[in-house]
Amino acid sequence: MTLMTNVLQVLLLILLAPLVRGVISRIKARIQNRRGASVWRPYADVLKLFRKQDLVPASASFVFRLAPMVVFTTTLVVAAFVPLLHGSALLGVAGDFVLLVYLLALGRFFLMLGAMDGGSSFGGMGASREALVSTLAEAPFLLALMSVAIAAHITSIAGMVQWTMGQNFFQFSAVHALALAALVLVAIAETGRIPVDNPTTHLELTMIHEAMVLEYSGPSLALIEWASAIKLTVVMALLIALFVPWGMASSVSALALGVASLVMLLKIAALVLALALVECSVAKLRMYLVPDFLGVASALAILAVVFTALMR
Amino acid sequence: MMLLAFNSFLVAMLSVPIVTLISHRWRKGRALPAALLMGSLVVGTAVAAVGFWRGQRFQVDISQVASFSFALSMDRLSAFFLLLICSVSLPVILFSSSYIPRHYSGARRHWLWVLLPLFLMSMVLVVTASTPFAFLFGWELMTLFSAGLIVIDGDSEQRRHNIFIYLLMMHAGAAAVIGAFLLFLPHASNFAQMRAGAALMPASLRTAVFLLAFAGFGTKAGIVPLHLWLPRAHPIAPSPVSALMSGVMLKTAVYGLVRFAFDFLGGGPSWWGYLVLFAGAVSGLLGVLYAIGEHDLKRLLAYHSVENIGIIYLGMGAALVFTANGAPLWAALALTAALLHCLNHAIFKSLLFLGAGAISDAAHTLDLEELGGLQKRMPVTGTVFLIACCSIVGLPLFNGFVSEWLTFRSFLAGSEMTNLSAAIVLPLAAGVLALIGGLAAACFAKVYGVGFLGRPRSGEAGGANEVSLPMQAGMGALATACLVIGIFPGLVLRSLGALTEELLPGAALPPAATSLSSVLPWTALFILLSVGGMAAFKRAKKLTPTWACGLPGLDQRMQYTSTAFSKPLRKVFSRVYRAERTLEVVPGDPPYFPVSISYRSVRTTSFEKFLYRPGVDAIVTAALRLRRLQTGNIQIYLLYIFAALIALLMFMRWV
Repeated sequence: MTLMTNVLQVLLLILLAPLVRGVISRIKARIQNRRGASVWRPYADVLKLFRKQDLVPASASFVFRLAPMVVFTTTLVVAAFVPLLHGSALLGVAGDFVLLVYLLALGRFFLMLGAMDGGSSFGGMGASREALVSTLAEAPFLLALMSVAIAAHITSIAGMVQWTMGQNFFQFSAVHALALAALVLVAIAETGRIPVDNPTTHLELTMIHEAMVLEYSGPSLALIEWASAIKLTVVMALLIALFVPWGMASSVSALALGVASLVMLLKIAALVLALALVECSVAKLRMYLVPDFLGVASALAILAVVFTALMR
Repeated sequence: MMLLAFNSFLVAMLSVPIVTLISHRWRKGRALPAALLMGSLVVGTAVAAVGFWRGQRFQVDISQVASFSFALSMDRLSAFFLLLICSVSLPVILFSSSYIPRHYSGARRHWLWVLLPLFLMSMVLVVTASTPFAFLFGWELMTLFSAGLIVIDGDSEQRRHNIFIYLLMMHAGAAAVIGAFLLFLPHASNFAQMRAGAALMPASLRTAVFLLAFAGFGTKAGIVPLHLWLPRAHPIAPSPVSALMSGVMLKTAVYGLVRFAFDFLGGGPSWWGYLVLFAGAVSGLLGVLYAIGEHDLKRLLAYHSVENIGIIYLGMGAALVFTANGAPLWAALALTAALLHCLNHAIFKSLLFLGAGAISDAAHTLDLEELGGLQKRMPVTGTVFLIACCSIVGLPLFNGFVSEWLTFRSFLAGSEMTNLSAAIVLPLAAGVLALIGGLAAACFAKVYGVGFLGRPRSGEAGGANEVSLPMQAGMGALATACLVIGIFPGLVLRSLGALTEELLPGAALPPAATSLSSVLPWTALFILLSVGGMAAFKRAKKLTPTWACGLPGLDQRMQYTSTAFSKPLRKVFSRVYRAERTLEVVPGDPPYFPVSISYRSVRTTSFEKFLYRPGVDAIVTAALRLRRLQTGNIQIYLLYIFAALIALLMFMRWV
């Protein structure tokens, strides 16, 4: 039963991810006084792309077609580490948060290579910018997760979630506040949202992620789009699980899981609303201000780690 | 049995130079040196593997025969490093057996086959020596033979200058190492005595020994700011020799420091650990940042050796801090991480240098700006190079990840120390390691993306062909090792645990160390199945031209270059690079159309400018002053002798 729930969690994350994207763009459209596309639009996009032909630049090697598959698969594995409905995940070992960060890095590394394999300047431009952002995001990502692990005295993500569930909401420490702030900033950079990157931009000179995938089409593009939707949802689920896990099922029964699903939906909806509001009210940062943005995240994460030692 | 095998290994190695000199006139004997050397390395690997996994010890002592104390012995630590040397050299020699005849002929080729086994032999001496004399004998020979191997590739003015710097710094380092041994007197005739003698030493003397060993071995390891020789000497050697120098020779310095700090001294106060940790952090960060600024492949790889030595030092530093704080379990974990990273770095760095050799063989250049599109032209070299890139970046499923993960795990354990500074510094060091990892990812995305992907940037790269079969086999063997250790780390971890238990009293590898080996094979299997499944079901592809915004004439020069790729990072970290740019514009007749524009950007590292340059200048100035004594006039010299005689007589009278 626990195993089934864990599999169910992963499937939910994978299958609901395009919906999360659809809802975000719908809310953004409403805020901007547009009607906007249907919330089911991302599903239609992915299905349409899967039915199309894969166009490959004549100069590209096997890496070009391998990259989207690696990106998609690593995102799936990452989804299996995150608890969604109850305090356990399909995969989980001591120290798995480092593995999570580095699996995301594996996917990103291949995406950068795939972008450079296209042989145009846009791919290189996107990869170079992605290299800058991801390089500076990795340290605060890891330090923030680490500070939570140290506070909980446990090194697996599922274990951290269970520990937080056992805590009272009002015992929320400074470590958690700092780590949460750092992780939110990192999450924005990691998933390529405003103000770090604009997922809806069509101006090549300002793109990061979109410039990398410019050369992709058909099933390869579908995998990349789906993977980035899953990544967004997984990062949201990770934030929720680590900092506001209350409401997750404490026992594996149909009723508890049903309630937990509802609570989780509400929490994700709140996060989606917040993201849409931020994206509508903030402008994208200039490229060379992004290091400052991530510098703030790093400072917060360092403070979080220092506080774990001071507050013992 | 072990002793016999070890002795025959030594004899076979030593016979290779003789066989080379005898057989070179005989046409069929050309392949003999390589075959004999590989055969002896197989025996060496087997001996080392048995010693490492079973923990067998033995000793070869010729102190009675020779009139000086010269003995070799093998414990687990020696066996581990011997295994590293032999098993990594074997594929390198396999690669060389085809590379050397293709690039070197006549005397240069014979010299390579004479010096290569001697160079390997000197490293074997260093890691198996059990007397200071044997150790230092091997240590000095290692420097001389490697310098000899560099000279084979030519001795232009620039190269001589680089070799001079290499030899100078190595001898300065060796002086510090000799000093460290001398401080053990009168207990310095063999390692067992030194171990016992260290316990009787006063604390100040122990600190002096540690600092001398730290400086001496640090010079060889290439930690910042003692790294100056490394990016000069490694890139100018023949590629297989660069592979051995960067992959294998640097590890003898790590061996030396582990031998001194853990085996002889048994750890010390925690500031020793912080010193090593700090040196590691600085070397790691600056090494990778300098590497990002390079576009000559071999220089770039040399700077990455500085970075990886930094990562190894991070692990060792953590181990020293844990020992000082009475946490031998976590010390064992950190030391295991450092030692495993030694092995991993030996494997993937040798592979990368061999890949560089393959590139220069096929495309006749190592300048990244001239490469591109090699993956399609050299599929095997490209694939193994990609595996090496993923390994050095520390991505999961490749071997670099395992050792970096273990280092992270030990830093995390630092939070459990009751000592406040340890509880703050160690977890923060994890942030430094993550930053190093991120920068390395950016750097190798550049190397592989610019070098192997996209379109060729020059005719040479466009006409490249796959290298010969032995070269592919040598690289393939190393790439396989990267994947095997990356997916099944348990294979080496258990024996490494036994090794650290021997080194650190009361230690045992905590179960946390092996938690990864339960999840990695499954992750690998899942990724393999799912990527394989997708590849099988994917629809046919159609080749199209690259998107050029609807305009014609997209050519290879419009691709991003290595310099362009690294520009954002160089801009963010501009304080590290301190580039000096000069722009010269010669105005033409209408001033708006200049006749010529020249742009130069020179980077001299701050260490050269602010640390070494003043020292060198002071020495040169002093030498110039002293030169006034040397007039060349014989009467003046007679006066000197007379004055010296008078001075000595007066000295004797008074004393």
